[in-house]
Amino acid sequence: MRKDGSESLPLLSTLQFPGMLYASTIRSPAACAKAVNLAHGPLPAGYLCITPADIVAEGCSLLLSDDIFLFARDEVSYKGEPLGLIVGPDAAICDELAQSARADYEEEEPSLEWESFSSSQIAYRYEIDYGDVDLAFSKSANIEKAVYRNGIFDHHYSEPMGAIANWEYDKIAIYCASQWPSHVQQSVATAMKIAETDVVVKPTNLGKSLDGRLWFPSIVACQAAMAAKICGKPVKILYTREEDFLYTPKQARSAVTIRSASDEQGKLQALDVKLIINIGSYNPMAQELVRQAVAAITGIYFCPAMRLEAYAIKSNIIPLGAMGSIGATHAFFSIEAHMNHLAKILEKTPAELKILNMMPKGLSNFGAPPLSYEIPFSKIHRQLEKMSDYRRKYASYELVKKRDPGCREGVVRGIALTVGYQTGRSYSDQPMINTYSVQTTLDRNLNLVISTQASIGSDSLKAMWKSTAEAALSISGEKIHFAPPNTDTTLPCGPLTLSRGASIINRLIERTCRAIQKKRFRESLPIVVKTQTKVLANPKASSGQNQGFQIFDSASWCGTAVEIEIDRISGEPTPLAVWMVVDAGKIVSKELALSSLRSSIISALTLCTGADFDPDKGGRDQYLHDRGIRLQEIPAIGIEFIDSDKTTIAHGLGELPFITIPAAFYSALTQALGAEPRQLPLHGSEILRLLEAP
Amino acid sequence: MIIDITVNDQPKRLQARSGDRLVDVLRKELSLSSLFSDCLSGRCGRCFIFLDGRLAHSCLIPAFKAKGSTIVTYEALRETVEAREIIAALEKAQALPCAFCKTGKIMAIIDLLARNPLPAEEEILEQLEMVSCPCTDPVSLIAAVGIAAELRNKRKFNRADK
Repeated sequence: MRKDGSESLPLLSTLQFPGMLYASTIRSPAACAKAVNLAHGPLPAGYLCITPADIVAEGCSLLLSDDIFLFARDEVSYKGEPLGLIVGPDAAICDELAQSARADYEEEEPSLEWESFSSSQIAYRYEIDYGDVDLAFSKSANIEKAVYRNGIFDHHYSEPMGAIANWEYDKIAIYCASQWPSHVQQSVATAMKIAETDVVVKPTNLGKSLDGRLWFPSIVACQAAMAAKICGKPVKILYTREEDFLYTPKQARSAVTIRSASDEQGKLQALDVKLIINIGSYNPMAQELVRQAVAAITGIYFCPAMRLEAYAIKSNIIPLGAMGSIGATHAFFSIEAHMNHLAKILEKTPAELKILNMMPKGLSNFGAPPLSYEIPFSKIHRQLEKMSDYRRKYASYELVKKRDPGCREGVVRGIALTVGYQTGRSYSDQPMINTYSVQTTLDRNLNLVISTQASIGSDSLKAMWKSTAEAALSISGEKIHFAPPNTDTTLPCGPLTLSRGASIINRLIERTCRAIQKKRFRESLPIVVKTQTKVLANPKASSGQNQGFQIFDSASWCGTAVEIEIDRISGEPTPLAVWMVVDAGKIVSKELALSSLRSSIISALTLCTGADFDPDKGGRDQYLHDRGIRLQEIPAIGIEFIDSDKTTIAHGLGELPFITIPAAFYSALTQALGAEPRQLPLHGSEILRLLEAP
Repeated sequence: MIIDITVNDQPKRLQARSGDRLVDVLRKELSLSSLFSDCLSGRCGRCFIFLDGRLAHSCLIPAFKAKGSTIVTYEALRETVEAREIIAALEKAQALPCAFCKTGKIMAIIDLLARNPLPAEEEILEQLEMVSCPCTDPVSLIAAVGIAAELRNKRKFNRADK
């Protein structure tokens, strides 16, 4: 029990049950193969090999959805795909047996290419066409085209992926760290062909998940549930750190081709965009990933005409998905990099060109209704310039670069500003993903108990929700508790992601507390109030014609400035300082918001400086060398909130660093280099090559 | 093989295989839940122990090497005044480490303050670099270590509050 009265969720690695068995995954050595058959030598007493055939024989399903198999049976779609399990009483022996198991298969040529793809690789396609793009291009003074690429990134999860399945009376209980317990419940019920009410999900400690634990934990949970059913005992699957690094989903890579038409001043007239996101072997959220990227493709700029084709492309590598922002990072990085490119062509400063193109009141993109309010871009931009001393630094670094073009003697530095936003909008038509619920109870001892599956979140989030309840009901924080987020005691709920969930739950808690306040002295205790909300998905989600709504609604705004220095010997870029100006509505706890933003800034910087994951070469060496940003390399961070006292509505802010920092970091890098690498991440040797190029 | 060691002031006789890591043996034989067998490369700090008074990654130590040593784990330290001061300082500075690295961070801070009662920012960061979990921002951590140092020094030198 914590000081605040809330129970800390257990860690999966410390959970034990009497008679519990351990399971290790047998993985495919090939990236693409057919007719797979598992072969293993004689197993020690008490050990069992579970194959897909055993699962089917138990009357369970191997298929979770159209292309998601719990175990590869007839076809293998990536190297390391689960083929079966070795279950037994000693985890180390299970690991050894799983590694020595052999698979017979007919290997085929894997499809690793994704930028030029065949129609069979398309998992999702989306198009947008508004305004007269051809006319704009025919009249344009400047037509520019470039391709921007983002690599694959890994997030170092606090605890490797895993799950425990345990029979508790007549139900199967699943213990796992998932951002979305309802999804785990539904997946296990589907795989075991049982009712959802027969599955209880008891979430374990999530740690910092960065949207990487949305759907993959459901697959591991299903595998553990199958093994528990076959063995009749509790079964635990807990990946090793290396296994987690090599075989769990990473951030998807992307290639965005932007062709722009602009007038003499640099005002955008039209964009012609091809956005390709590589989702690896599969990703059940491909639609959401692509649509979020499409919505962010214009950044904060007004574009009167656009033609866009967006694709989620499959290839024979590990599943790739969301990390740190669902698709928006790719789009923001590309449009900001393109604006830098335009500024260079037009001989303007990037800041000048960006201000010129910012979305004004009365206009809109994607055929949406005209914007009825002024977005505080200029205010944020001005404040950020002041905080970071942008103009002086930008001018002096330009001067240094002109005096010493190869930067052989001088300091190699750059500074850049980016303004961006995050929304809580969803594009998925799955009803479960958009439903959020909270139940609040004021009991006879005047304790307030908040029940929501979202309480899997961090202590900072819970502290924010607690202060909301405290303020609404004037109850001391010590009297406010969170009920365990089990699926049998809480209402079904959508995922707790970086961009969504937290602020929606905050509003729901406020709503339930106000309802309790009204009933407080009129009704006898306990008073129970339940509330549920459905976030409206895009009404024209499947029309493919336009987004049909204002993408800036309920958004949080922010401006980010990044100053970097390049080591002239190694070529490695080091961030010197990061400044952020944030307008995220009401800030419930400034200290917690600052702490959460600082922590997200550090994770977002890792996307710029960290090693990109190479699934074709990935191995133990890459795992051992994969390091995030060192504490001593963390730059000075300055954060200011604006207009937080002018509203009562809190918006999410956790995704803002992931959206703006890669773009700002890249822009600073282009200033320092005087060249446009058009990709992230970028490492020492490539930077040195660019610096030394004539 | 049999390994005789002292763990948290208790003499223990542990059974280990030749290739076993100390962290796995301590966890398996003594059920010490503060220890995690995680990165196995000495960078996550989740397996910290005090081995003969020095902070060490037990994942990097072969079990047989610990023969005859004195080991102190978080289980023995968590109720000490030093640990309680650090926990109070972390809470006060809003530096809330996640459940995975909390014990590692507390062990690292205990070690740092024992060696240096007034550590500089660089020393704090260098020490906490041994617990590579990005859950807590460094500004709050530095503040927390500062508060913990102040509490410790007040207690040690019997200084009154201003």
